[in-house]
Amino acid sequence: MKAIKKPKFIEVPFIGELALSGVRPILGIALGLLAGGVLIAVSGVNPFKAYKAMLQGAFGNRYAFSNVLVRSSPLLLGGIGVSLGIKAGVWNTGIEGYMYLGAVGAAVVGIPALGLPPVAHIILTLIVAMAFGAAWGLIPGYLRAYKGVNEVTSTIMLNYVAVFLTSWLVAEPQPLAEIGSFYPMSKLFQESAQLPILVRGTSLHPGAFIGLAVCVLLYFVLRYTPFGFRTRMLGFNPNAARYAGVNTRKQIMLLIIIGAMLGGLAGAIEVTGLKRRVYMNFVTGVGYESVAVALLAGGNPLGVIAAALFFSALKAGGATMSIQTNIGAPMTSVIIALCVIFVIGVGVSERRRLGKVQDNEKSEAVNEPKIKEEENVT
Amino acid sequence: MQDITKRFPGVLANDRISLECKKGEVLGLLGENGAGKTTLMNILYGLHQPDSGRIYVDGEEVRITSPSKAIHYGIGMVHQHFKLVDTLTVLENIILGIPSKKLLLDLAPARKYLLKLCEEYELFVDPDAEVGRLPVGQQQWVEILKALYRNVQILVFDEPTSVLTPAESDQLCRAIRRLTAEGRSIVFISHKLREVMEITDRVTIIRDGKFIGTIPTREATQLKLAQMMVGRPVSIVRKPRPALEEKKPVLVMKDVNVSDDRGVPALKNFNLIVNAGEILGVAGVDGNGQRELAECVVGLRKPASGTIHVRDRQITDVVADPSFVGFIPEDRQKTGLVLDFSVSENLIIKEYDKQPYIKNGVLKYPVIKKHARSMIEKYNLKTPSGEVKVRNLSGGNQQKVVIARELNLGPVLDIASQPTRGLDMGAVSNVHDTLLSERNRGAAVLFISAELQEVMALSDRIIVLFRGEIMGDIDGETADVSTIGQMMLGHPLEVGI
Repeated sequence: MKAIKKPKFIEVPFIGELALSGVRPILGIALGLLAGGVLIAVSGVNPFKAYKAMLQGAFGNRYAFSNVLVRSSPLLLGGIGVSLGIKAGVWNTGIEGYMYLGAVGAAVVGIPALGLPPVAHIILTLIVAMAFGAAWGLIPGYLRAYKGVNEVTSTIMLNYVAVFLTSWLVAEPQPLAEIGSFYPMSKLFQESAQLPILVRGTSLHPGAFIGLAVCVLLYFVLRYTPFGFRTRMLGFNPNAARYAGVNTRKQIMLLIIIGAMLGGLAGAIEVTGLKRRVYMNFVTGVGYESVAVALLAGGNPLGVIAAALFFSALKAGGATMSIQTNIGAPMTSVIIALCVIFVIGVGVSERRRLGKVQDNEKSEAVNEPKIKEEENVT
Repeated sequence: MQDITKRFPGVLANDRISLECKKGEVLGLLGENGAGKTTLMNILYGLHQPDSGRIYVDGEEVRITSPSKAIHYGIGMVHQHFKLVDTLTVLENIILGIPSKKLLLDLAPARKYLLKLCEEYELFVDPDAEVGRLPVGQQQWVEILKALYRNVQILVFDEPTSVLTPAESDQLCRAIRRLTAEGRSIVFISHKLREVMEITDRVTIIRDGKFIGTIPTREATQLKLAQMMVGRPVSIVRKPRPALEEKKPVLVMKDVNVSDDRGVPALKNFNLIVNAGEILGVAGVDGNGQRELAECVVGLRKPASGTIHVRDRQITDVVADPSFVGFIPEDRQKTGLVLDFSVSENLIIKEYDKQPYIKNGVLKYPVIKKHARSMIEKYNLKTPSGEVKVRNLSGGNQQKVVIARELNLGPVLDIASQPTRGLDMGAVSNVHDTLLSERNRGAAVLFISAELQEVMALSDRIIVLFRGEIMGDIDGETADVSTIGQMMLGHPLEVGI
């Protein structure tokens, strides 16, 4: 069984790690697409045609591709936020809620005319959004780190609170709400607080590039800074981290809060770059999709980039697919879900094999103490 | 049980052990920790399969492949660590696993029978209490009642009294007598001589996985049993060493009280001084506070009261500074190492945020790798390179990584907790030499080990721990096995003899 240990020859940090962590998701995705193809065929459509339509819808022209990038923005930021936690063994599933809080924070300073120049106003908006997200993340972070409350439960519950809090804030007669609107929404953001459109005729805002930059930055932070060292140590062996003097509680709280800041940033970018207002229920499920992104990426920041782009391509292409063929739009979600399940499934079967190796080692460690030295016997 | 042999990877846990328990008798199974008692009983209960040997029940050879098979043959077991579901009630725990033909649980007859059992054996528990909320003593009653409910004829107790108060122990004894009076047989595993003398009819002693002998309890004395258990009169080869010049206290513990993970007191009003240039050996059967002692000295475990000083510094928080205190933890894989980190990373897990490994907030991997190369050479680490994951090293080399990290900077206090556990002979003597040279360098060494031989070979002074208290503090040169053996079994050193 020992042969299954991870190969030792890959020592190039960049490519080696990618190659190693890349095989599993690619196999899982291939299986997911295959299973999706079967479902498409069952519903009476040629799967090759359907997937071709999907490809065109995602990469067919620059409008299509800019659509992919726009959709990828919250997935990149949310995905890396979740991944940070995964690296330390924490499941920060509150991205949805942080996005709502971020949007609210953005609205608080982005809607009134502050007389600021555009760049300053945008930066202020994003910073306040991150602060709102962080404040929201402080709750599950503190509860997890110092009170032992399961973070999955607390973050998901707080997501509902955040959604309804936002609904209340953008409904009349609250000051942020648009007056006399048919649907609960906030007033328009100031021009100076809106993110610029990068390509005329598309809705491409810089969100995706911010997300990409954050992913690359955090890749290096995790690898080359003491903060990253602590995080990885905590993820691999919390006992050893404590023994080595890491304040593990503080670190866990920090990681959840940083995830929350990134979620808040994602929410702010959605409303200042794309929607121009905060609508009631302006995102549904993107926060949870970013958990799936992080899962697909196995917590690796560079993997997040690939996974987020893959998801958004599926989503953007899926819309085209459902127009050109007669497959309903939900099929996209089904395919995404299949991919995630297969990636996890491949991972589980791999881990089980590795686990056996470890168990053997463990039983050795437990039983070895019984060896006694005979040399002192006369 | 005849000629039972069980081999685990790298160790012979049971070597041709034979054991015979007659109807209506209490058989004691005596041996040190790790002698193979529990393994033997797990084989009897179907949790392990023997590599060779036979088991007979009522004269017929049986193959016990699972606990349910064992119960089928009338063998029950009360484990050292209870196998109960904390969130279920007593009654639910007791009927758990008994197949029922009905769709719905019919608890009424079960309750009636349980109450009858409680009455009969004077083991009173509330059938509707949640097991997790019961005191440990009562949880043990539940375990016993569970076995009786299944009408077992042979009942194995694995160190039953370690969790009981004296009054509860008496109650247990009465229950055991009643059981044997009915013709049931009891196997009573323990390393406490007093109890074994009191309750058993015959005693089987095993040591290092080998069968030593079976004697009727009437013909045994505590001393004789202790000798059989701890072993042949050993001659200890002490390593030569220069004499200690003057006593300079390094570690001073005053009235320390500390609890273990379950909240049970692990050290009671504990006072200890370790001087510079001496090895203080801590002997004792595992689980008598050794682990908590090491953990509270480095601040990983907060004492409920009392003070701990190393030199002039009071320990209030985790000390992760190997130039001050070096700590070789008892479980290197769980605590001392990050198995998925490389050797070079593991060598700096306490230093990663200090010069020269960090510059301008960025880890200097070239420096870290260079450090690893020099450490590999200095400590003779057997590894293909510093970039191999520690997981892939052998146990002895993993320990060398820990030792290299903890001792390289010359700490004033070394704490070595079971540092030779699981190592082969070469690695063991390597560790011993290292500790001795640390002593000669002038470090204070707190050396905790369950292996009496190495404690006696290495220590300048020896204390013996029993249930969180020091049974005696004796000189290492003149110490003898039987004195220490007595103290390990809970008899305090009688001053003045």
